[in-house]
Amino acid sequence: MNDTIQGEVARYAAAVRAACADLPGPDRELLLEDLEDHLQEVAAEAGGPLAERLGRPEAYAAELRASAGLPAPGRGPAGGRRPRRRLRESRVARRLAGAGGAVLAHPAARAVVRFLPELRPAWWVLRGYLAVQAVAVALTPLFAGGGFSFPVPRLLGSSLLGLLAVAAAAAGSVAIGRRGAGSRRARALLAAGNVALAVVALLLVGELADSEAYDDYRPEFATTFAGPVSGLRSDGREISNIFPFDAQGRPLKDVYLIDQDGQPVVASHYGNEYLEPRIPLDRDGVEVANRYPQTQHQLDPATGQRYPGPTPEFRPPPGPLRPG
Amino acid sequence: MDTTQLLKGVLDLAVRDGYGYDVVRRLRAAGLEEVGDASVYGTLRRLYSGGHLTSYVVPSEEGPHRKYYAVNDAGRALLAASTGTWRSFTDAMDKLLGAREEEAA
Repeated sequence: MNDTIQGEVARYAAAVRAACADLPGPDRELLLEDLEDHLQEVAAEAGGPLAERLGRPEAYAAELRASAGLPAPGRGPAGGRRPRRRLRESRVARRLAGAGGAVLAHPAARAVVRFLPELRPAWWVLRGYLAVQAVAVALTPLFAGGGFSFPVPRLLGSSLLGLLAVAAAAAGSVAIGRRGAGSRRARALLAAGNVALAVVALLLVGELADSEAYDDYRPEFATTFAGPVSGLRSDGREISNIFPFDAQGRPLKDVYLIDQDGQPVVASHYGNEYLEPRIPLDRDGVEVANRYPQTQHQLDPATGQRYPGPTPEFRPPPGPLRPG
Repeated sequence: MDTTQLLKGVLDLAVRDGYGYDVVRRLRAAGLEEVGDASVYGTLRRLYSGGHLTSYVVPSEEGPHRKYYAVNDAGRALLAASTGTWRSFTDAMDKLLGAREEEAA
């Protein structure tokens, strides 16, 4: 008789305590301090079972909490997991609010934070993919034809095998994500795995950035990065010789040209490799490169013979020029 | 529910220290059958946390050690304020109900 009373009291008390498990430690201790004493008193009186005289343990706990001015237990499906997760998330949110309150106060930041849980399934899929990439790279030294490959990892040298492995790993990862890790140990392992795969993701991005940098190194882009264009040009066209004329259309000889800075204007000879200039030398043996027209010879590549360079004709405008 | 009995039960707690189930019994004896055990225990915790009650443990040879509650000065002030509120409420109700009874008579 006494044993059955003790057992009933213990069972009822355990159920009430379970219904108060979400309360902070000090509040809970104070609230449940003489729960067993109370139940003993009630049980010692004549009458039916405890649940009949006090109501269900959950109802007892709710009444106790309400009258003590403590919050009602979090609503949601029964079971310890959900309230605990809610508690943890709210704790994280509180800590974030303390640390970066100003940042989080911004509507855009709040929208991002609200959006984060939506991204969880995407991470689950990505996690599976990253796991296969990690395995593929890890097996590289063992099998020929392996190594990093994007986007489909090559597993044991086979892209098809890699594709199948990605599908299986993504499905498994999503299953783990939906179910959640059970024990504390499993949760710790899962957290460590997540960090490791996040590192794999970083390495993958680095690898991709490298390979794309190589892709960019193509000849047609190389000239884009050449320095200022050298040589003498007029509207982009290369000038390899200059023929001055006077107002009557007579060709001038031995004209020295200088630019606005007093520097010699030197024709460029890069455009036509068969046009060979003969640059005169001054008394000190220094090239006089800005005396025009220069004497040039045209080389016939077939015969190796040289001909005098082209001499353009000049038609002066009719009548005298107006002063500019 | 008889208002005089409710006041008597509350005042009893103020006059004499009691442990949790003792208070439940006294309220029941005063005619407050509907008050739940958990409500009494919860209210005692709230008053204690709010600093209106003091507590001490009395060892017992046969049963469990009992935690007794006693009203302190803050509790007595709260009781006086609550009693005043309650009296003005019941007075107003009495006048309303009495006036109707007189009309009916």
